[in-house]
Amino acid sequence: MKKILAVLLALAMVLALVPAVMAEGAPELITVTVFKGDPGDQPTEDNKIYKLIEEKLGIKFEFEFLAGNLDETLGIKMSDRDNLPDLFDGSNSAEMLEDGGVLIDLLPYISEEKTPNLYKHIYTDDRIKQLLSEDGKLYIIPNYGINYNQEIKDYNGPAFHIQKKVIAWNNYQVPKTVDEYFALIEKYIAENPTTEDGTPYTGFAILCEGWRHFCLINPVQHLIGRPNDGEVVVDINDPGYHTETFIDKPYAKPYYKKLNEAYKKGLISRDTFAMNYDQYIAALSNGTVIGMFDQGWDFGDATNSLNAAKKYENTYLALPLLYDADDLEGIALPSADWKVEEHYVNGSVMNKDRGAGISISCKYPERMVELYETLLSDEWQKILQWGIEGEDYYVENGRMLMTKEQYENRSNSDWQRANTANAIWTSLPKKQGTMDDGNAWSPDQQPEIRNEFRSDYDKDFLAKSGKTDWIQFFGPVTPLAPYGEAWEINKGPIQDDVDAFLRIQDEQLPGIIMAADDAEFDAKWDAFVKEVAPYGEIYGKFMNEEILKLVALVEGK
Amino acid sequence: MTTKVINTGAVGLKKKKGFFRTLGSQYQLMIMSVPMLLYVLLFNYAPMWGWVIAFQEYKPELGLLNSKWVGWDNFKFLFSKQDFLLSIRNTFAMSLINLVFGTVAAILLAILLNEVRNKAFKRTVQTVTYLPHFLSMVIVVGMAQNIFASNGAANDLLVGLGLVKEPVFFLGKGEYFWWLVGAINVWKEVGWGTIIYIAAMTSIDPSLYEAAAIDGAGRFQRILHVTLPGIKSTFMVLLIMNIGHLMEAGFEIQYLMRNGMVQKYSDTIDIMSLLYSFGARPQYGRGVAAGMFKSIVGIILLFGANKIAKVMDEETLI
Amino acid sequence: MTAITVKKKGKRRDVVFPIVNTIILILIMFTTLYPVINTVAYSLNEGMDALRGGIGLWPRVFSTEAYESLLRDPAIYKAFGISVSKAVLTTLLNLFFTSMLAYALSRKEYVLRGFITVVLVLTMYINAGLIPNYLLVGKVLGLRNSYWVYIIPTMFSCFNMIVIRTYIGGLPDALVESGKIDGAGDIRCFFQIILPLCLPVLATVALFVAVGAWNSWFDTYLYNGSKKDLYSLQYLLKMKLATTQNQSNAAATSADALAQTSKVAPVTVRAAITVVSAVPILVVYPFLQKYFVTGMALGSVKG
Repeated sequence: MKKILAVLLALAMVLALVPAVMAEGAPELITVTVFKGDPGDQPTEDNKIYKLIEEKLGIKFEFEFLAGNLDETLGIKMSDRDNLPDLFDGSNSAEMLEDGGVLIDLLPYISEEKTPNLYKHIYTDDRIKQLLSEDGKLYIIPNYGINYNQEIKDYNGPAFHIQKKVIAWNNYQVPKTVDEYFALIEKYIAENPTTEDGTPYTGFAILCEGWRHFCLINPVQHLIGRPNDGEVVVDINDPGYHTETFIDKPYAKPYYKKLNEAYKKGLISRDTFAMNYDQYIAALSNGTVIGMFDQGWDFGDATNSLNAAKKYENTYLALPLLYDADDLEGIALPSADWKVEEHYVNGSVMNKDRGAGISISCKYPERMVELYETLLSDEWQKILQWGIEGEDYYVENGRMLMTKEQYENRSNSDWQRANTANAIWTSLPKKQGTMDDGNAWSPDQQPEIRNEFRSDYDKDFLAKSGKTDWIQFFGPVTPLAPYGEAWEINKGPIQDDVDAFLRIQDEQLPGIIMAADDAEFDAKWDAFVKEVAPYGEIYGKFMNEEILKLVALVEGK
Repeated sequence: MTTKVINTGAVGLKKKKGFFRTLGSQYQLMIMSVPMLLYVLLFNYAPMWGWVIAFQEYKPELGLLNSKWVGWDNFKFLFSKQDFLLSIRNTFAMSLINLVFGTVAAILLAILLNEVRNKAFKRTVQTVTYLPHFLSMVIVVGMAQNIFASNGAANDLLVGLGLVKEPVFFLGKGEYFWWLVGAINVWKEVGWGTIIYIAAMTSIDPSLYEAAAIDGAGRFQRILHVTLPGIKSTFMVLLIMNIGHLMEAGFEIQYLMRNGMVQKYSDTIDIMSLLYSFGARPQYGRGVAAGMFKSIVGIILLFGANKIAKVMDEETLI
Repeated sequence: MTAITVKKKGKRRDVVFPIVNTIILILIMFTTLYPVINTVAYSLNEGMDALRGGIGLWPRVFSTEAYESLLRDPAIYKAFGISVSKAVLTTLLNLFFTSMLAYALSRKEYVLRGFITVVLVLTMYINAGLIPNYLLVGKVLGLRNSYWVYIIPTMFSCFNMIVIRTYIGGLPDALVESGKIDGAGDIRCFFQIILPLCLPVLATVALFVAVGAWNSWFDTYLYNGSKKDLYSLQYLLKMKLATTQNQSNAAATSADALAQTSKVAPVTVRAAITVVSAVPILVVYPFLQKYFVTGMALGSVKG
């Protein structure tokens, strides 16, 4: 009886609502709160793209950006489950949102009929298999990393870097191994000990500050021919995907030995280990640092500063270095048949678990999915990525192009606030790669634009090197391993061991590099390995299990 | 039997009545104080239920009532970690250095300022010395890292004066860390710290100085016998309060100054508890347990210091 | 003979001491002034150039772009208004409640004195953590998305109460007693006798409260992060800095030596923000400073 009453009541309520919904042709205007796990600027009141979204889709946004500690903020926000933001982007800690059950499962809302764009986006190439979380649900559609047609590869990831002028000085011959790299730096400094204004050069800088310590602890994996898997190397030829940490293995020692030698030769300064990020950027911007291991995006400020000062010769070229065969003589690699072949650049990685999810307290989940769907259409993607034709770009012979002014606008934050919908666009699924007509989805990847706005120095440098773009200094793009890139794996269950593992490296590697002689180096290295290895073992074992799980999921085993 | 009961009752009643009668006569003081008592009960004490998280494996999706109870596990975890024990030592050492040198410097500067007769000069000095309080820690630490680098001003000075042969690696050696943090804190807050002592000096009766001068007391004797006693109660109260805060050494300055090499000296309780409680799978309980530990030790220190002050017949906090 | 020697000695000191004192104070001023001027110099330097570091007391490449980038956004003026109003309101309410309480707890005869003092003092040492506070203020009291979240939770501070209580404790007890003899109650004694004498310490506490309210941004962040109309200045500035840091790297992810138009960098924006947020306090300070004069309190009673 009660049940029947309840059903009747519900029915009555639904019926009462129907006329209200039917009456309006255009969708009812709703205000949606969006939390972004990254800092950002509020768009202006009369932002042209948001205005368009409001007109066409009846949705207004209220943005809230990160200003404090990300994890702490998410923890606080999640504690009040009735007042969650409607769209919730947890940025690099979005796992917290998924584990915490504050997001809704999107699968029931996505179908070939109702949401063709989204359906195609996530079901093509069986992508969905990689995207589902362990409980078989889909909480977040990746905000980056899904390509259409042809993928255009930019490489901005980990690599050894060297000032372009040094390569030019070396007749455009690029080093291939760490030995050649340090030899070149040494030779250059021997002939040019100071910059033009008399500051002595630093041969090699190692940024160790906080989470940026990957400059110190990550290079070894690349030197033995693996892409960025974080702190582990994976044997992808092994059916069991043998996984191990590399820092505590014999094949890591030669690299730190080389750094120790460079330190003793004065190419590395001890201050590099205590340097803060601002000091690092200042050193790079002043052109006093010949080389470093880093990821391109991590020193963007310095690149910008050098370009602004027209010191193009001091900007950096990224190089894929390897160990020399001599370095590894008699040293066991992760497997007996391991080959040291260059593999820095992976095929595109879906940015799994990154982007905005819809929260459980959102009152309009259908409208939100509709928003995702509509904005993923070609028409809207053009607007979101390129802007309005005639205002923000022009078309010539079917190619989308920009004037210098239009292009420069894109890096002007005031202009962005008024003319782009970046705050929402960066969190939503998007198209990358190329359009059906061959234009690049991102203006930054449109070849004509890249060439047009490159400095003359760089054009000349590329020409003399016999290349047309920077990525060509790397080997061919290798298809992504079935598990993706291992650094993305959620290490929650062994977090404490990973923390200890990293803290030991932070503390001891600088001392090892600064060892006064070989005996001290060996003693310190052995002590380090002894201390770090137990944690490395736990870490490697855990990662192997996770990788096997992912592989099984993808291969449908 | 009956009488006895009545008697006891009467005695009890009389006592109670005495208390309530006094209280009744103090209704004006109650009007002035009880609303704020209720206010702190609401804003400071009501949220204390959050401390139960220290005994839970708290999950936001389960809330306080349904999260798993783990007893003392969070505390056991913290105290089993060598790094956490070191962080207690570091916290204590840095806040002690800060307390001693910060207080001495602030009082000295306040006395020097108090002796200045030229009002414009006095105000200028006061304003200028408190300016660093408004610089953000990022800026201050950034400057300090430049000054104490191998080729920085501090080493130039030491080498120039012949005090050391080789530049000192200030930022890479743990044993310097506490003192660097102490120096930065004192420098940044000394001017701000004087404000409270200067306010205290305003309550000193000027006739005391006149009397001292008539007695032939020199400037230093006047400082010793008039100025210092005049700020003694403020000093005592602040001292007791700060002793209770010895488990708080801050977070930001150490977080900005630290690097891997000095972590055994730099990491405070707050830094470690942030590391232990957040990550891919947050452990809120550990953070709350660390906070609870800090609070309890702080309160013990506070009552201890207050007790000692009471025994010594000095101004007390409570 | 002895008396003369002492006098002479005293006189000589009176010449030497002020000079030494002045020199010491000037040196101290120099060490505190240098970083401040350096910050101003950075704020007035062109951004891309400032990234190179090494700027001293004067900008290397002059530019007001860092300030312009902050002041161009009309939201900043609204945020300034919010910050001023919340600082003023918080200070007034806090001073009122805190000083009244300090008076009550300075009365030794008050039977609840010990109890209330302990309860209040402990608030300085216990902290429930962010989540319970967030749920109380935001959810239970419903102060989310409201201006009052800036005011209501900040009406009392125990530290300041202790400071005022200590000050009142230093005043002669006879003041209140004579008031009582004249038939005044505690409330009247406080407002008519004690409060006017507390001006120096009230000025001090006002400074503490106002600076605290002015500098706070976390309250906006926690409770009003999505309400643009309620942003405080510090929150907005903090956001601008975080964005600049984020953007400069994001811009560089397009990997190339492509055209760069940005004239600001995190270092210059950070410096400009420091200046912009400190200036209003520097303007207010002299008005409070005139109350910090030795002997003023008692002088006024006796005179």
